[in-house]
Amino acid sequence: MRLPPQPDERIDREAAIPFTFHGSRVTGFAGDTIASALFGEGQRVYSRSFKYHRARGLLCCSGNCPNCMMRVDGVPNVRTCVTPLHEGAKVEAQNFWGSLDHDLLTLTDKVGGPFTPVGFYYRTMIRPRRAWPLYERFLRSVAGLGKVEKHGGRTRRYDVEHRRADVLVVGASEAGVESAREAAGREGRVVLVDNGLDPLPDLEGVEAVRGTAIGVYEGGLVPVDAGTVLHRYRAGRVVVAAGAIEQPLLFPGNDLVGVVLPEAVRRLVGRWSLRPGARAVVVSADQRGLETVSLLEQAGTEVAEAVDLRTTRVREIAARGRGGRVASVELDGKKLDCDLLVMSGGRQPAYALLAHAGASVEYDPGRGIFLTSAIPQGVDAVGAAAGDGVAAAAPSATYNGASGKGKCFVCICEDVTDKDVKRAIAEGFDSIELAKRYTTVTMGPCQGKLCHLPSIRLYARENETDEASIGTTTARPPWQPVELGLLAGRPHEPAQRTSIHHRHKELGAKMMWTGTWRRPHSYGDPSGEAKNVHDALGVIDVSTLGKLVVRGPDAAAFLERLYPNRFGDMKTGRIRYGVLGSDAGRIMDDGTIARLAEEDYYVTTTSTGAGAVLEWFEWWNAVWGLDVGIANVTGALAAVNVAGPHARELMSRLTDLDVSNDAFTYLDAKHAHVAGVPSLVLRIGFVGELGYEIHFPSPYGEHVWNSILERGADLGALPFGLEPQRILRLEKMHILVGQDTDSESNVFEASMPWIAKMDKDDFVGKWSLERVQERGFREQLVGFEMANGVVPPEGGQIVVDGRPGGRVTSSRWSQHLGKAIGMGWVPPELAEDGAEIAIKVDGSVERAHVRLRPFFDPDGEHLRT
Amino acid sequence: MTHLDFLSPDLAAPEAAWRSPLERALAHAPSGIEDVSRTGVLEVRGDADGLDAEGTEVVRLSDDRALVLCDWERVAELRARLGDRGTLDVSAGWAGIRLRGETLLRRLTDLDLDALPAVGPVAHVQALVLRDEDDAFRVFFAQEYGDYLAEVVLDAAAGVDAP
Repeated sequence: MRLPPQPDERIDREAAIPFTFHGSRVTGFAGDTIASALFGEGQRVYSRSFKYHRARGLLCCSGNCPNCMMRVDGVPNVRTCVTPLHEGAKVEAQNFWGSLDHDLLTLTDKVGGPFTPVGFYYRTMIRPRRAWPLYERFLRSVAGLGKVEKHGGRTRRYDVEHRRADVLVVGASEAGVESAREAAGREGRVVLVDNGLDPLPDLEGVEAVRGTAIGVYEGGLVPVDAGTVLHRYRAGRVVVAAGAIEQPLLFPGNDLVGVVLPEAVRRLVGRWSLRPGARAVVVSADQRGLETVSLLEQAGTEVAEAVDLRTTRVREIAARGRGGRVASVELDGKKLDCDLLVMSGGRQPAYALLAHAGASVEYDPGRGIFLTSAIPQGVDAVGAAAGDGVAAAAPSATYNGASGKGKCFVCICEDVTDKDVKRAIAEGFDSIELAKRYTTVTMGPCQGKLCHLPSIRLYARENETDEASIGTTTARPPWQPVELGLLAGRPHEPAQRTSIHHRHKELGAKMMWTGTWRRPHSYGDPSGEAKNVHDALGVIDVSTLGKLVVRGPDAAAFLERLYPNRFGDMKTGRIRYGVLGSDAGRIMDDGTIARLAEEDYYVTTTSTGAGAVLEWFEWWNAVWGLDVGIANVTGALAAVNVAGPHARELMSRLTDLDVSNDAFTYLDAKHAHVAGVPSLVLRIGFVGELGYEIHFPSPYGEHVWNSILERGADLGALPFGLEPQRILRLEKMHILVGQDTDSESNVFEASMPWIAKMDKDDFVGKWSLERVQERGFREQLVGFEMANGVVPPEGGQIVVDGRPGGRVTSSRWSQHLGKAIGMGWVPPELAEDGAEIAIKVDGSVERAHVRLRPFFDPDGEHLRT
Repeated sequence: MTHLDFLSPDLAAPEAAWRSPLERALAHAPSGIEDVSRTGVLEVRGDADGLDAEGTEVVRLSDDRALVLCDWERVAELRARLGDRGTLDVSAGWAGIRLRGETLLRRLTDLDLDALPAVGPVAHVQALVLRDEDDAFRVFFAQEYGDYLAEVVLDAAAGVDAP
């Protein structure tokens, strides 16, 4: 039922919009919100409250309170009073058992009060302890707001968009519009953000955006919720024109359906031509509330009484309800029948965004509200948000009812009553910050908009002090409820792939993550792939290796200072293994260093260490100020390692190089075209067999890879993945940084003393390594062979004299050796070839023997011949 | 062969098949999204004066580092000319996407699009962003992120076009 056309109504009576409420077909008009359309269809109860399941109806009609939250098209907790109606909307109420009008759980309201104080479940529901999960499941099902579908999946797409503004005005209030107009044309890009229902103002030089600013962060970052897109504004200047919020009065029955704030009357009558009630009582602490009287009369509502609390002293107010709806109100014992009670406790400037930005918030006792001061640079407050035009109004903290019956709600979001607050104070929660966490007042969907000021008034009175001494709690974003999907945006998980990636997949590789790289674990047969390297020819994609070019007159000196071993004496065209140490002497990374020319070195790092090594190099380069340039060419170059007895034959087919052992010896670096592609070929071998590592421009990854497999087919060339590589490396007892070493490992205890040239003048970590030499070893990294072939778990315990004495870092079954082998840390006295150790495997203890030299080809003959 | 030739993709024999890192990922891209990975990129040390030449773009990365972008065919000539400046041919390290629409790019980066060219994160990957005429942009980034970034760009484009 609508009133006759009102002068400023915003509905189009010609345009009916059908939608459903709990499956029933209902209708509203264009210009309606979901809530106003339902009101027009006679709906008065909109939701059931958080804890007591009390009936709740429209209270603020401004998107501040939780009362109108419903499930709309599957999305829970939609504030229907500010959500424009759309055709076909599927609307359902939330949080009830049975029906919205007859919720079985109102039982908690009838019997609950004395038994369900704040935090009752942590006190009364703890025994027997075992039963808590049952209590919890029950409580979760009966309390709260809307439900998220557990298996609903992603229903909507959310995007994040980065925007910039020189001036960002929040709120199209009169003051906001004025600020935008002033800035337009003078301060660059001016943006006006507003979340109201009216059309956005059309101002020259101002971009008007529909959305809700949910916070103000450092650097002028203002996220704006625009439905399915989050606009992340970076603003040079932020102007907050967020207005002021009408405050409720605290009295028994203040949450009954039909108890409303003045703005609800304004909107229902003025905007949507709805009559809010038949007989009204107005109780107001400011002019704003009293102004509704004429509106109500215009709508045909009888106003039984209008009380101005500024001039009339009222001690007791109590609303009585029937079926959850207000039926009468008692003012100092005088009973007035009514179905509408308009209450106004004055207005509080909406300062939250200013507080996010760092403004101070202080109580102004003269006006009875909190005001901001010391607003930081780059942020301004205008209009009601700054306190302009907000009249003084200081009602009593609470008004008791004559009979004392009925709940008086301080916080309608979380169903916290004045008694709960008083009890919290009695229990010692006398600081506002503690009390907030204990009672959860201000922590519900309204985020304090309707409960912050009244709760502080109550606190002040109960603690026999004033509001200024109580102070305020910290305002934190989000200022308005926001969907989590919007904050999450699109899932972006960067992955690195080599230029040969797609060939691996075509060859049936099982891919795995190593750091952010995708790499082949194996092509289906790890031990067969390892065997093929020993018997014929294996090829592995090592493009993921970090690759740096270090250039300049001081390049040799630079590397000498960084690494514990020497590089200055290397001849051009030679390669050396290097272990990079931190200043604390700990192992950071390892790799090979090739000298390409007098002043040019080519450094490779581990696949996952590339970024850290580059930073480390650049940091020390800046510190030392040497004449060195460092370039990261990790992605520019693909790299492939070919290894096995037929590797030399393959290289002779693919290049013009003289690949004889005399012309191209172990640890030589040579330049050649490989399959027509300019390449750097390194003769190194970390998988134990004769091997060549080919580095070449990455766009030719597939070409070189395919050429190797084609030209080497008759030689038995087959790809191998990371898992077979682990086996092969372990057979050679090569450490894997990060697997066999940790953040405490140094080269001495990791059994690589030969790499540290302690007679060098200095290098990063030298002092620390000298201390290690002085103090002696605490543990040592060794190899071990299992006595009976059981492979122990990596991370497993090495037992010494019945106690934990060490740990296994790597372990594999080597088909080639017919043994279970591994590496691990043991006490130094056990680091002797042949020493017997015990390793825990599935609860039992297995014997193993320590090995100090590689399990396979200990003298490296396969590599060198 | 000189000792840094192995960095230069243009020195490969004609029968060697060059393949863009975005070839597969952008095979069915909508119009307005193109692969521009075949671009010459030289990293130059020292002061960048006199690097500007017809058909090249110079992007300063710091006081003593700059990138010179040029046509693929001109890399050899520029490399020879700038050889004494600690120049490295890093053409092979970069993938490039050309896309249309500020809204699309704004959904991927918080870089100030009024202050291009600039280097910064695009969908969490460090990238060089340049503005072309009209509403078009080129985004260059480490080629190993090609599949990932192409997927993200196509997804974001679908989001911009969604109702």
